[in-house]
Amino acid sequence: MRDMPPKPPYLGEFEYAVLLAVMHLGEEAYAVPVRELIEDRTARPVARGALYTALERLEAKACLRSRMGDPTPERGGRARRYFAVTAVGLRALRATHASLARLSQGLETVLEES
Amino acid sequence: MSRRSAPPALAERMLRLAVRDPEWRDAVLGDLAEEFGSVSRRQGWPRARIWYWRQAAGIACRVSAGRLLPGTAARRPWRAPTPDDDATSRWAWLRDVRYALRALAGRPALSGAIILTLGLALAANATIFNLADAIYLRPFRFAGVDRLVVVASAPERDPLADRSSVAPADFIDWTRESTTLTDLVAADFWDPNLSEIGEPEQLAGHRVSPRFFELIGATPQLGRTFVADEAIPGRDKRVVLSHGLWARRFGSDPAIVGRAIRLNGEPHEVVGVMRPGPSIPYGAEAWAPLAYTDEEWRERARGFLLVIGRLSGTHGIEAARAEMRAIVERQRREHAETNARREVSVVTLTRGLSDAGAGPFLMIWQAAAALLLLIACANIANLLLARGTERQQEFAVRLALGAGRWRLALQVLVEGAWLAIVAVVIAVPLAAVGVDGLRRALPPGVLRWVAGHEFLQVDLTVIALTGLMGLLATVGFSVLPALHASRAVVGDALRQGGRTLTAGRGRRWLGTTLAAGQVALTLTLVVGSTLILGAVDSAVNGVLGFDKAHVMTARLTLSDRPYATPEARRQFVDGVLERLSGMPAVQSLGAAAFLPYGGFSNSRTIHPEGTELTPAEVRSADFQRITPGFLTTMRVAILEGRDVSEADREDTRPVAVVSRSFADRYWPGQPALGRRFRTAADGPWIEVVGVSVDIMHDWFMQQRRPTFYRPMRQDPPFSLSLVARTNGDPLQLAGEMRRAVAAVDPDQPILELRTMAQVVDDKVSGVTYLARALAVMGAIALVLALTGVYSLVAYLAARRTQEFGVRMALGATRWQVMRLTIRQALVITSLGLAMGSVLAWALGRVMASSLFGLVSLEIWPLAVMVGLIGVTAVAAGYLPARRAADLDPTEALRIS
Repeated sequence: MRDMPPKPPYLGEFEYAVLLAVMHLGEEAYAVPVRELIEDRTARPVARGALYTALERLEAKACLRSRMGDPTPERGGRARRYFAVTAVGLRALRATHASLARLSQGLETVLEES
Repeated sequence: MSRRSAPPALAERMLRLAVRDPEWRDAVLGDLAEEFGSVSRRQGWPRARIWYWRQAAGIACRVSAGRLLPGTAARRPWRAPTPDDDATSRWAWLRDVRYALRALAGRPALSGAIILTLGLALAANATIFNLADAIYLRPFRFAGVDRLVVVASAPERDPLADRSSVAPADFIDWTRESTTLTDLVAADFWDPNLSEIGEPEQLAGHRVSPRFFELIGATPQLGRTFVADEAIPGRDKRVVLSHGLWARRFGSDPAIVGRAIRLNGEPHEVVGVMRPGPSIPYGAEAWAPLAYTDEEWRERARGFLLVIGRLSGTHGIEAARAEMRAIVERQRREHAETNARREVSVVTLTRGLSDAGAGPFLMIWQAAAALLLLIACANIANLLLARGTERQQEFAVRLALGAGRWRLALQVLVEGAWLAIVAVVIAVPLAAVGVDGLRRALPPGVLRWVAGHEFLQVDLTVIALTGLMGLLATVGFSVLPALHASRAVVGDALRQGGRTLTAGRGRRWLGTTLAAGQVALTLTLVVGSTLILGAVDSAVNGVLGFDKAHVMTARLTLSDRPYATPEARRQFVDGVLERLSGMPAVQSLGAAAFLPYGGFSNSRTIHPEGTELTPAEVRSADFQRITPGFLTTMRVAILEGRDVSEADREDTRPVAVVSRSFADRYWPGQPALGRRFRTAADGPWIEVVGVSVDIMHDWFMQQRRPTFYRPMRQDPPFSLSLVARTNGDPLQLAGEMRRAVAAVDPDQPILELRTMAQVVDDKVSGVTYLARALAVMGAIALVLALTGVYSLVAYLAARRTQEFGVRMALGATRWQVMRLTIRQALVITSLGLAMGSVLAWALGRVMASSLFGLVSLEIWPLAVMVGLIGVTAVAAGYLPARRAADLDPTEALRIS
């Protein structure tokens, strides 16, 4: 019999957004496009400091893992830090999504404007 | 990447500092750089820069707020930063150091005063130490110098013992019998006249045993030193030159070796030139082999050799002393007729060849400098203590925020260390100035004779010592304030600065002790420097007994071969004096064997008629030979009888003029005229025909050294000094004297042509300089002590302002309030003066005993100084008292 998976970590709203953006971007997920994507889709400004803090916290919670890319000249010879969502991150996303979905059940007519 | 497309470097640097994790640093900086590129393409470079700065600042703020990117930072439990934060970190002390520097820079006047005080005191110490080190402690610095000793036939304890005192036969015995000493060598004074090239000149030289150079570790630069063979009479016409003489007289001629030079009229072959270095012994410039005949080596009655030896094996100096005592004890028995009363001493080379008078003097100056440093420390401690009380709030806040008590103490120590470091940095150049002044105060002619003068410069030893003293001073002046700081009480101090009415009893006691100690030390130093100044003054201008103004002198030594007979010497003196006496500028004229203050003297044992003296009772007196004009020219007054005269000739009865102290010693309370004495148990009787005043012959010696003057004609000396008095500038006679000597004997050099005033000044110039330096130190100390007393009293008065307000509100009069403050000043001052009087008196006693009678300890200078310091200190207390009393009581109460 398999162990029950541990309870996934709780995600804040901004963390939820960051995880979704990382999933969208797949192989190309590093801080710059992540921020652009969130700003683009949510139409809200994202402070870089906040984004870095969130990324770091998510990695600390094991929702994300990161690897360093190759240095490029346009970055002044510095490497990109690419992120990918882990299994824990995925479960957390699902849990958050599910709870939000359950919470919004029956309000579809109000929430979804045509 | 071109400069224009690069992000602002400063902002990048700030970010690099803020983001500690290296991977994150790369990612963040890279992201920003990438975005900076697109921002600057869209909006232009200037706006992109602004954009970058804003982003960087935003990220740095996030990061510094504690939600730091690297993992460790995030996991650290948050708490507010306290002064003790990072206490465990390796770099915590660095923060203390920076903080201390800020604290000091914040009060430049106080810091500046402390640094200057300390710097001056340190420089004074460094200068004196350098002098003592160069000429007294380590005048000779070559390998193995600590194994060399000087053996002399003089008592061990006599500080003024003549080291050149060993009889040749005794020396031969010692070389044969001693096992603790190897390589015993002898040296004999030899002052050859160098002629033929340029002006004739008398050289300072020695005849030495062949192994002499090997013993003192000196090797020649050119040629060789002596071989054993050359110590045989007939083969000894060889000479080794000092580097200085070679350069000065022979233009550093590389072909000098093998050439013959004329010394005392005879050719001597130059066999070698020494390297630059110490001129041993006694400033020697030329060395010849010591070649005695067997006859001369058997001489046991007269001692004149300087003997140097090396301790053999592991023997210490005590072993050598014990062995030499045994050998000399046996010599006393075996040669009772000559050696019965002969003593022996074994001292280190350094002590044996150094100026006997220098030790006590240098010690006094060093002690004075140390005192100055102590006073400076006490003063600084007091200033810091007063500051410490002002800073109690600062300390209390830090304590309340969790700083450890020892950390506060450390803070004060670190501040002290900063002050000391800066003080040391300024003290070193100051010391260099002092040492330079010292070198310049000594005329080159004198300096050449001072062993170790070449080490008179600020060297590593001096710098290291200054650093060490600075460290000690730091501890000295900051320990008390540091302890005090560590005792800060949170509650009291935070309750709005000093609501307590009076300073704590402990602190007041501490401050009082420090200020009183300062007064005590100052009194000691000031009295000490007054005594020294008095001593120097009496040595330079005081009761010389003769008139040094308007007198020209010429010193010469007649060579022993051409002037072997007394008749030749008589003719020389007569010829020169006759030539000079015709000159219109010459008022009066004379000659003597030695000049007073000339640095040379001669003495004879005295056997007065009618008393039988045991050998132990025989004492010696200064022996001087003069022509009839000498005492007149020097203006030495004749008290009774007559001067020596032309009528006292070689074939008339031997006569002498004696000094007052001579007459008092041998015929106390009786007329001396007509009495007779002799200088050897079987010598001819000499009749006293006159009594003169005492004159000072040498300022190291006792002032009243009994002297007898014999007519030069009856016993013509080899060493000769001409004196001539004129109305105007004595230097105008220099040429005449030179011509007169050259006319009589063109080969005869004049050693020195100086005015009598120069002779005296040269002898004491170094001491005069030091005495002035000491006076300056005394003045600094006085100012320091007075500021110390003033600042303490003023500070205490300020602390008690509220108390005074209460008292005055309750009806106390102005005077009653002032009395409180003045009483404090009085307590401090009288405590200090009482301690200081005892110290000063003790110092005076020490100085009187070590300065050979120049210092007369009297009560009045002490009383004057006590009065002066007392009055000034009380006056220093008066001002703050009046300020306190002038306050309106309501105002005084409001002041916190």
